[in-house]
Amino acid sequence: MNILEALLVFLVFPGFVFMVIVGMLISWVDRKVTARVQFRVGPPLLQPLYDFLKLMGKETVVPRGASRLAFFGAPLIGLAGAVFVGTMVGVAMFLGKGFGGDVIVAIYMLVLPSLAVIMGGIASKNPLASVGASREMKLIVGYELPFILALAVPVIQSGGRLQLAALLQYQAEHGSFATTLSGLVALVIAILCIQAKMAVVPFDQAEAETEVMGGALIEYSGPALAMYKLTKILMFYAVPMFVVTLLWGGFGDLSAVAIVLGVLKYLVLVVLITLIRNTNPRVRIEHAVAFFWTWVSIPALAAVVLAAVGL
Amino acid sequence: MNREQVLKQVQNTLGDRVKNLFVKNPRRVYFDVDPGDVVEITRILHKDLGARFCIASGMEMERDFEILYHFGFESEPPEGVLVSARVHLDKDKPAVDSITPGVPAAAWIEREMHELLGIEFRNHPDMRPLLLAEDWPADVCPLRRGKPWEGKVDRRI
Amino acid sequence: MGVKVRALMKSPWVFHVSAGSCNNCDIEILDCLCPRFDIERFGALLVGSIRHADALLVTGAMNRKSARRVRQLYEQAAKPCLVIAIGACALGQGIFRDSYSMVQPLDEVLPPGAVTVYVPGCPPRPEAMIVGVVKALNQLVPAKQPVEAKKEQADE
Repeated sequence: MNILEALLVFLVFPGFVFMVIVGMLISWVDRKVTARVQFRVGPPLLQPLYDFLKLMGKETVVPRGASRLAFFGAPLIGLAGAVFVGTMVGVAMFLGKGFGGDVIVAIYMLVLPSLAVIMGGIASKNPLASVGASREMKLIVGYELPFILALAVPVIQSGGRLQLAALLQYQAEHGSFATTLSGLVALVIAILCIQAKMAVVPFDQAEAETEVMGGALIEYSGPALAMYKLTKILMFYAVPMFVVTLLWGGFGDLSAVAIVLGVLKYLVLVVLITLIRNTNPRVRIEHAVAFFWTWVSIPALAAVVLAAVGL
Repeated sequence: MNREQVLKQVQNTLGDRVKNLFVKNPRRVYFDVDPGDVVEITRILHKDLGARFCIASGMEMERDFEILYHFGFESEPPEGVLVSARVHLDKDKPAVDSITPGVPAAAWIEREMHELLGIEFRNHPDMRPLLLAEDWPADVCPLRRGKPWEGKVDRRI
Repeated sequence: MGVKVRALMKSPWVFHVSAGSCNNCDIEILDCLCPRFDIERFGALLVGSIRHADALLVTGAMNRKSARRVRQLYEQAAKPCLVIAIGACALGQGIFRDSYSMVQPLDEVLPPGAVTVYVPGCPPRPEAMIVGVVKALNQLVPAKQPVEAKKEQADE
């Protein structure tokens, strides 16, 4: 792949532009389902786009004493991480390419958006932002372990393949991992963990509106805030797609039926996340970490053991 | 405990320090106390008889200052009695002992009465301003009669 | 109409501050978010931080303590920020005008021209508040030509 092709893949399809379009549509689906569940009407289709454009048009106020480098660099780091993961997943699914170990790189890159929230919160020189940042740190300590365990299940079952495209090929030959017992448990665990990774209620303590007045992002405005919101939109595409690829078969062999099924699987995941979001209150951070360390980690360990045994 | 029992208990325990007992209606009882007895009486009402301290009201009347301390004897509805103990204070320099050592819940309402009405509470553990703005002059008591803030306070910030 | 203005009209994020109100207007503002009126269909969201806000909803008569904070909040908001005064107290301090703790009314606390729309009422109905927000957003756009052209056609 030469430089021009690589740029096209990274920036247009299945990279940045494709991710933004799909992410904004999915973000609208999330808001519309939320509104409908609450017997409301909900925003129009292009609302996420209007939100983004409006934020780009406002001024960014930098608090006095804040580190400008970290303040402006943090949202860009988060954005880069989200774009990278989405591109890798898209390349594996639609182009069948990748590199050895790209699953591990994707897991590392998925931490970057949360890291960006922490960095931005601490760089804001605001005590409420520090509270939000510290909550995000505690949350990461909670959910990263079961997430990695759940993602270890497909690796174990396929006999040690660490490439997204290779795992997709294994699922094309042997059926998706979700049809096995350990894969099913891993899928449920992964859904709970991505609820926290995408900072969605009940695990959005970092950005709690009513408790800490915007949390880690309290001092952000204008284009810097737009980058954070864009990162959240891209994560809405990248993370469920990552889970669908690893555990649920992805888009299969790219035939028409497989594509429709893939889109349906992705939508089911997103609607499930939205429904969990609408039926649960935000939990306290200590309860969230305790939840992840007991009720989520132990089934994750069990899933790994089952996968090793062969179920 | 029904209402008659409450009334009898109050009269028996407090004896002749209760003056002018007035049962306005089955749920409302008023009586006067001397300013020197108020600490003891409120402590008895709160600790020994088990009433809940609801609130205290301070008023500037024509000839004196009055403070009413309201205590609630809560039983199964509709049996509840609100008992109010009234003290009369000197009009020029209203001062009384603070009941906070015996009834800790009275701390803030006494701060408020001191700030807004200028009543002095002796032995209050923490007499800081509670409600008024930081730049309000300390000697102007807004709830006194006759608009005492006229000319002393800047009406623009 | 530029993209910036059009996007601002389609996505007004509101921040609510009560400068010593009796909370009646605050309850009616919350009504606007509930299913019967639902301002999210206009793109409006209630945000937790003043820096995220496009519209500042102010209720309550300005007393000494809160007027300073409202002025600070307005300065902290990322411009452009509309200010909408809600309720009789925010308009001209209502029945509390001669009270000891009142300072100047809202439009003198904030810089001149900051308050965009006044919504009278005690409390104003949610429909009145929605009309007020729509009028505030329309003020961002210069006088609309098409409506007047249609009127002339009807006369002919």
